[in-house]
Amino acid sequence: MTTSTTQSRRERLNRLLNPKTVVVVGSKKADEYNWLKNMSTFTGNLYSVQVDPNEIPGIEELGFKNFTSMKDIPEPIDFILCAVPRNVAPRIVKDAIDVNAAGIILYTSGFAETGSEDGVRLQDTIVAMAKEADLMLVGPNCMGLFNSKLGVRFGQEQVAGQNGHVTFLSQSGSQGSGFSAEANAQGVEINKVLSFGNGVVLDSPDYLEYFADDPDTRVIALYLEGTRDGQRLFKSLRAAARRKPIIVWKGGRTPDSARATRSHTASLAVPAAMWETLVKQTGVISTQGIEETVDMCKALLHTKPFTGTRLGLIATAGGHSVEIADAFSSEGLNVPALTEASYERLATFFNDIGGSFRNPLEGGGNLASEEKVSDILGILEEDANIDAIVVEMGAFGRRDPGILERRIQTLKTFKETTKKPLWACWGGLFRIDPDVQKDTTTKLQEAGVPIFGSIYRAAKTMGRLHSYSVWQQEQNK
Amino acid sequence: MSYKDIIKQAQSQKRSLLNEVESKAVLAEIGIPVTKTQLAATSADAVKLASELGYPVVLKILSNDVVHKSDVGGVKVGLRDGKEVEAAYNEIIANVKKAQPTAHIDGVSVQPQARAGTEVVLGMSKDPQFGPVLMFGLGGILVEILKDVSFRIVPLTNRDAAQMVREIKAFPVLQGYRGMEPADLATLEKAILTLSDFVEKNPEIKEMDLNPVFAYKDGAIAVDARIILEDAD
Repeated sequence: MTTSTTQSRRERLNRLLNPKTVVVVGSKKADEYNWLKNMSTFTGNLYSVQVDPNEIPGIEELGFKNFTSMKDIPEPIDFILCAVPRNVAPRIVKDAIDVNAAGIILYTSGFAETGSEDGVRLQDTIVAMAKEADLMLVGPNCMGLFNSKLGVRFGQEQVAGQNGHVTFLSQSGSQGSGFSAEANAQGVEINKVLSFGNGVVLDSPDYLEYFADDPDTRVIALYLEGTRDGQRLFKSLRAAARRKPIIVWKGGRTPDSARATRSHTASLAVPAAMWETLVKQTGVISTQGIEETVDMCKALLHTKPFTGTRLGLIATAGGHSVEIADAFSSEGLNVPALTEASYERLATFFNDIGGSFRNPLEGGGNLASEEKVSDILGILEEDANIDAIVVEMGAFGRRDPGILERRIQTLKTFKETTKKPLWACWGGLFRIDPDVQKDTTTKLQEAGVPIFGSIYRAAKTMGRLHSYSVWQQEQNK
Repeated sequence: MSYKDIIKQAQSQKRSLLNEVESKAVLAEIGIPVTKTQLAATSADAVKLASELGYPVVLKILSNDVVHKSDVGGVKVGLRDGKEVEAAYNEIIANVKKAQPTAHIDGVSVQPQARAGTEVVLGMSKDPQFGPVLMFGLGGILVEILKDVSFRIVPLTNRDAAQMVREIKAFPVLQGYRGMEPADLATLEKAILTLSDFVEKNPEIKEMDLNPVFAYKDGAIAVDARIILEDAD
């Protein structure tokens, strides 16, 4: 491939992923014009292509502009969402090539993932056409692109208009939707989500290479089940991980789950032992499930690398003291004794009836005063035995919302001067109102204090961040 | 003969297995320390080679059909003079003919007996998705049961080789445990990287088995080796 072809490929991919003109092909009443509605937040030019005269009135009634052929569209086409049945798909791909569109998302399914002869044959036809014309083809059998800033979406619950720095690449559309939802709940803003399905023309290594270079993406997370080209995936993960943090959630780790991947994307699952080897060699961060993946993104966005393992923990109540120490020390971290100097200072104001301050520090009464909490944080800041601080948040606001507000303010103020990583997590004492949780999350994270859904989520994530920081340090030697 | 010639010769004979002598010749050429090993087709040759190589020597059956040489009485160690070598040669041939009457025998390999060291294994196989993968582990007859091994996908970096060696459970043994001689980690790491480079450049190599490798305080040496090529077609 010549340099000019490579540049032109990158330009085309750029246009597909950051489109000015979007075309939805095959929207219909039966799916409630879902795709057009997904794109209703799009900031650029949106067109529908539908030839069926029974469908056109419904589309136009909703205010969308329809053409009966792609060739009638007056602008260069950057992005086509193809939602036609699989037998029609080759014709749409041909049209896309004829109008010199930059790329196409094949939402259509029923290809090689079904294992059927017809499915495989249709897929092969489309692949051959796309490769010959260098058409950027995403899928088939995928949900495509969520570009928050430009309002390109594959689900109506996806939040448009954000300017985030996390990109999620997924072999599964539903995991892509799930990631979008959890990220939103966790205050993690998204740059893009790309559900790329069977990955027959463009596959995970292509996207990794693109986003490793993308200045808007600071963290790349992937949901991967299998690969068509193991060596290429290995090399692209290794190269990308040298540039920015790469999180991989691997699906199909057991023989039973591996069987499920075949029908899902028709790709070969990677056996668990090989996967672990790959993780060690590439420096990717391994997670399982949407929550862990979103949590890891959150940690990386808000925390500078730190290789220390010693934590100062502030728990809301006695029972939690043990639990929070258990959680963090199980993840390769330590909860050490503080220095004598710290204990002397604490003894002067800490009421150790109903509380203790050996580390973890806890006791409801002692944490009721913002002044005391501030002092405790200050002592931990100066304590030479402590590398990072975690504060458990509880449902203090259930009787007086002012309490939670004041605690948030205390943490924000401390964050302005602390040199040590500061995290917060929700303790499980009482059910916290989801709106209150979201509001607290937003406020704390705006100030640079990430807050995690539970003690365990925080502990696991911090363990991973620590391992990653150590790895990074070794890379830089 | 260069290693490329050895490989070509085996391929022209429609053979995918390189015997001990051939495998060690390949390894020696790429810079992996091996015991100097030569083929004796008669007992007289064996005696002559033994005196050239220096006593004590080890004799082993050379037959592509014999997989576990010691199990069929195909290995004789600690041979101190010509008489012992002659007797050993004849015994080996008789043992193998008895245990595996249809085995095609090329002769016997003759090599100086290496000083006992810490036994490790080095291997290479091909993963269907990732291609060549290297393996390292503590050796000995229990290796099939303990499976204390580490893997890395080719191509390896220096860091991969260093980590691989340190990752096995028995690493404290390599560091020198309870009076045992420590192992020369730098030489082991270098051998691993040499193998990585070699298999990357020679896709016709399907499998490699260096077992045992004796590791000493200074240096290491492969005492037995086997290379399998991809099928000719």
